[in-house]
Amino acid sequence: MSTRRTTLTSRAGLSVAVAALLVFTLFPVYWMISTALDPKASLRGSDVLPSGISFEHFTYVFEKGNFGTYLLNSALVGLATIVAAGVLSLFAAIAVARFKFRFRTSVLIMILIVQMVPLEALVIPLFIQMRDYDMLNSLLGLSVVYIALSLPFAIWTLRGFVATVPKEVEEAAYIDGASWPRMFWSVLLPLVAPGLVATSIFAFITAWNEFVFAYTFMKGSDKYTAAVGIYQFFGENSTAWGPVMASSTLVTLPVMIFFVVIHRKLGSGLAAGAVKG
Amino acid sequence: MKETLVDGGPEAPARRGPPKSDGGAESARRRKKLVTVTRPWLLLAPSLLVLAGLLLWPLIQVGKLSMQDYEVKFGGGVGTFTGFDHYTDLLSSGLLWKTVLPNTVFFAIACVGLTVALGTLVALLLNRLGHFWRLICSIAILAAWAMPAVTGTYVWIWLFQPQDGMVSQIAGSLGLIDPETTNWFTERGPFYAIATLNVIHHGFPFVAITVLAGLMTIPKELYEAGELDGANAWQRFWNITVPTIKPVFLVVTILSTIWDFKVFTQIYLQPGGDGSNEDVYNLGVFSYIQAFAKNDYGTGAAAAVLLTVLLLLITVVYIRTLFRQGEEDL
Repeated sequence: MSTRRTTLTSRAGLSVAVAALLVFTLFPVYWMISTALDPKASLRGSDVLPSGISFEHFTYVFEKGNFGTYLLNSALVGLATIVAAGVLSLFAAIAVARFKFRFRTSVLIMILIVQMVPLEALVIPLFIQMRDYDMLNSLLGLSVVYIALSLPFAIWTLRGFVATVPKEVEEAAYIDGASWPRMFWSVLLPLVAPGLVATSIFAFITAWNEFVFAYTFMKGSDKYTAAVGIYQFFGENSTAWGPVMASSTLVTLPVMIFFVVIHRKLGSGLAAGAVKG
Repeated sequence: MKETLVDGGPEAPARRGPPKSDGGAESARRRKKLVTVTRPWLLLAPSLLVLAGLLLWPLIQVGKLSMQDYEVKFGGGVGTFTGFDHYTDLLSSGLLWKTVLPNTVFFAIACVGLTVALGTLVALLLNRLGHFWRLICSIAILAAWAMPAVTGTYVWIWLFQPQDGMVSQIAGSLGLIDPETTNWFTERGPFYAIATLNVIHHGFPFVAITVLAGLMTIPKELYEAGELDGANAWQRFWNITVPTIKPVFLVVTILSTIWDFKVFTQIYLQPGGDGSNEDVYNLGVFSYIQAFAKNDYGTGAAAAVLLTVLLLLITVVYIRTLFRQGEEDL
């Protein structure tokens, strides 16, 4: 009897814990989306349900706020980052996971160390350099910075994936007469593809979400990225909460969809990269 | 890049290794050795170049800037060497010791402690749930994680907005505050409490998912044995779970510490966080404001160096932890 009661109380406890978790994680998301849809957004106060559903704030941010351009800028910068960071980090990961060479450990430690460099330390000198080379307001300049920012984590994560590909598979292909490029394309690449997907998505998200560099470097308003574009609706004294939340939703939803779609890969990606170090 | 992967690429003179006899077998061997030595470096070269050019070089530059008075003249910058003046000014300023450092350090400690505690609790919860609810909760956690720092911050500001914000109105209707006069963002305590909530909401999913991955590796027999010995849930957690996956806890704690010391966006975007309220400066925001709002690049750079040194110390601990883990040789 007593075990039955403990199961019941622990069931109740679990339910309460699950409910609390769902509220804490999802309420801000819900609040953002429902404010974006509420025609009287700024007067919402403590009403949990929106006063109505309309897409007027979304139309507003595209028509008055030029948000389509910002989303396109973010997508372009993100795409450049994915491609470059993916290729560079895969090569680097193969080097550190497959070959023994002098200073290999030093290279790995250096990669770990650059991961901790605070953006504030980089933004000042990079701003000065970009200004001197007339690279401010350039999507290319911004992409290059994001490539550098996403590389350490990408190398570190991919390294785990490359290491999990059994050497025997490669050796078997080698004995069958496969050349290095052939082995790369037909053996290694398919096996590390899940890792590449995970790191690409992280690289994309780094670029998509980044605020400090985009805010500092991109001053011409048609060069804003989406994360910075929201700032224009945010007033010092009165804020247009409908447009702010509509544009926030537009920035957030693609990332969320990505995360949910790849959530299985995400787990293994982190396990390969962060946990096992 | 593909040709760098090919064995026995274009012939290059072997600079390393003592020259020996010129027999065919000998030169083939030498060439093979050259390939073995250079191949990893060719693969690494593009990444190392990008990292050196965009992370390492600017770091050196910021060190140089911190010892200069930097002025913009005729479109270019001119630096005048001032030695350690910016550092002495910075380290002797009351603002640093009374506001900037306490804000940075206490905020980071609170965020790390709460993020790791909550993340661990959630991981333990997920580990006990059935497939269906685990999936639902995982997706909810992912949603919180996926929320960009910028948009997440706007939502928390909106929830705590004076007068109109949901929390302000509820607290007002409960008689806790006067929503007409209360502004959560003007004072240090409430300002950082809101930022802490924001950072925890964004940061605990990483801890939860990583710790969960660790929990799933613990053999069930350990708990069964513990239960037979009469250990209660708390004892089982402290004596079985924690020691078994200690490396996971160390890594998530140190990573969170590194992240939470350099929180910028969440502070800068909150009302007053962009420099208009000195009370809420943290080291990152202080550095940014000095450089970009006050055009005092030297002091900004010195503060940035200070932050970097702090993080470097933490990173050393991180690396030592990783090495001591000893699961695999790096």
